[in-house]
Amino acid sequence: MKKGILVLVGLFVLLIGLGVFFAFRKPAAIPGKTVLTFAWWGSQTRHDRTIKVIEMYEAAHPEIDIQYDYAGNEVYWAKMIVQAAANNLPDIMQQDYATLGTSDSKGLLLDLSPYVKDSTLDFSETPEAFIQGGIINGRLLGVNLGNNSQTFVLDIDAFEKAGVPLPASDWTWKDYETTCMNIHKTLNIWCMDSNLGDEQIWSSIYLSLGEWIYNADQTGPGYTSDQPFIDFLNMQMRLQKAGAIPGPNEETEDNVEAGPIVSGKSAMTYIWSNQLIALWGAAGETRNFIMVPLPRAEGAVQSANYIKPSQFLSVTSGSKHPREAAEFINFFVNSPEANAILLGERGIPASSTVREAIRAMVDKIQQASFDFLDMIESTAAPINPPEPPGHSDLIDNVYWAQVLEPFYYEKDSAENLVPLLREKMPVILEENK
Amino acid sequence: MNRSSVPALPLKKRRKNRRQDNLVGYVFLSPWLIGFFAFTIIPMITSLYLAFTKYDGVREPEWIGIANFVKMFTDDPRYFKSVQATLCYTFFAVPLRLVIALLLAFILNNHRRGTTIYRTIFYIPSIVGGSIGVAVMWKEIFGNDGLMNFVLAGFGIPPAAWLSDPRTAIWTLILLSLWQFGSPMLIFLAGLKNIPQELYEAAEIDGADGFARLTRITIPLLTPVIFFNLVMQLIGGFMVFTQAFVITGGAPLDTTLFYNLYLYIRGFRNFQMGYASAMAWILLLIVAIATALTFKSSNYWVFYEDREKDRGQA
Repeated sequence: MKKGILVLVGLFVLLIGLGVFFAFRKPAAIPGKTVLTFAWWGSQTRHDRTIKVIEMYEAAHPEIDIQYDYAGNEVYWAKMIVQAAANNLPDIMQQDYATLGTSDSKGLLLDLSPYVKDSTLDFSETPEAFIQGGIINGRLLGVNLGNNSQTFVLDIDAFEKAGVPLPASDWTWKDYETTCMNIHKTLNIWCMDSNLGDEQIWSSIYLSLGEWIYNADQTGPGYTSDQPFIDFLNMQMRLQKAGAIPGPNEETEDNVEAGPIVSGKSAMTYIWSNQLIALWGAAGETRNFIMVPLPRAEGAVQSANYIKPSQFLSVTSGSKHPREAAEFINFFVNSPEANAILLGERGIPASSTVREAIRAMVDKIQQASFDFLDMIESTAAPINPPEPPGHSDLIDNVYWAQVLEPFYYEKDSAENLVPLLREKMPVILEENK
Repeated sequence: MNRSSVPALPLKKRRKNRRQDNLVGYVFLSPWLIGFFAFTIIPMITSLYLAFTKYDGVREPEWIGIANFVKMFTDDPRYFKSVQATLCYTFFAVPLRLVIALLLAFILNNHRRGTTIYRTIFYIPSIVGGSIGVAVMWKEIFGNDGLMNFVLAGFGIPPAAWLSDPRTAIWTLILLSLWQFGSPMLIFLAGLKNIPQELYEAAEIDGADGFARLTRITIPLLTPVIFFNLVMQLIGGFMVFTQAFVITGGAPLDTTLFYNLYLYIRGFRNFQMGYASAMAWILLLIVAIATALTFKSSNYWVFYEDREKDRGQA
């Protein structure tokens, strides 16, 4: 009897032990293989294409075993923060331009420039400007996976029907207001959806004035006057009151495939250029769209557009196989075969060879986004440094909660609300340093 | 065994046996104990420590004393909006849900036929009610082009912006929460079944009508169960998160920015784990105070049969 209990207890302890052992054990590595871990965020299309490229690479390099993990954007970052705290980040991780600086300030990323020097990473076909975005303080922390820019998509048919001329590529917000009102008056549809509150528009207004919302040492505002943004918001309110754009109660879907331009309820929308594929796909091939650059502020000195590296691949500082990781990244960005599968889903490839190689393979819709990037390449403003840590705090808790929402719901005037950004910025940047 | 040492051994042996019994007990408890320490006690202590630090999840936590709490109460307008939204939600959703649960329990209690089936059917929403799937469906139903406006249009009523109008948004979430009346309903039902039938029979003989029986017998005898349900639902009410996270994201004008949603935004979107931990501890305090007040109030309205008897004897 007693023995029976002891045996039972013994078995039990053994089981728990085994359970704990297996739970904390790393997945088995096949002997003789180098294991690389790789994580990214994105849509199902991206997952499918990326996995195909991984399998292709493994077939060509039998000594490499790539273990991957993917998720949607928000879940991805929640996962990564936990893994970073556990010192367990993947070797290769996808980064956004906005997160590159934050991740670097935490010491998570490896400087890849030695691998550029020894040509493991081959940038001979890539314009310098497209590599620049991944360099912080002289260290290459991420390899650009493709280029993107913001754009206004215009429904050509609606413009023709309204008899409103298509805007010039250097149009201003004043031109936008006139265009918008004319379209609304003649067609009685919205001219734009409700997405212009986006903080990227705030930033683009100052970009066209040659300024950045943050100062160079990232301690406070870098713009001289609140007026341009106040003017912009007041213009939005005039349009909102005229019914030319949806009010806050008519807030439209932020999902590009369900936006009002798709159903013909509005004549324009504001998106990232790589989203055109999703938008046009949802609207149908027979529709006619054109992409134009963002409107500029009055007195602009340069374009309100910049070319943004859509995403990066970075090697983490804890990686045990940085060279192998760099080799894989090189394949990912420079191999025409890999990019024939990826097909610019992450943005227009930075390497000119790859870009030309896949240009012939893409359909008319994607051609349009290639053409748009070509068009703005020569005029685009230089890219600002990545946003400092504290940016998301400022945007969530001040920009949206205390400025834009109260403004659109007409609780207070732009003149009273906008200075709050300037006032709170230094405190928030200090707190998140 | 040595029989000669009988007077000495039993005590020792008993003690040894007891020790062995205890050991076996702990071993069998160990799965729970491990879980309790690893997933409850240690994280709680860690979070208490983090509440006094600045911690972005990666870099070493930096001790900043009570700065997080000071900021929360003096320099964070969103914090108060989140408290306000959560209190508003709890204040309306919990009583409404209990009323619905009680009404259904009455109906089920009075109709004997098919009770089991109805009980199951009524319980189903509680299983799916809190899920992401239902929240997504809710978002579609109350969206500007959703089912609700479509149906209203059929009656010639102009469409409303249920989810983006600051006056209505929180009510759509409260309405969604009413779905989850299942578990209080079952508890009420058990409570109703526990009320002795003789009391009703005696009351009937004395000529009490249905209403009198309800207010003089059923409700008083049910108050301990109502009290239990109230406390449980109150605690659950403060923890509301999923619905707002999926449906409104806290908008419009922060009217649905529930406490836990704001905590999540601070912790996982803005990477301010220290601040989020401080918020979590204040929430614990708020829930504790709300529960304590409910307990205090129970002296005035909860009826305990045994206590009444004591009073009668005294």
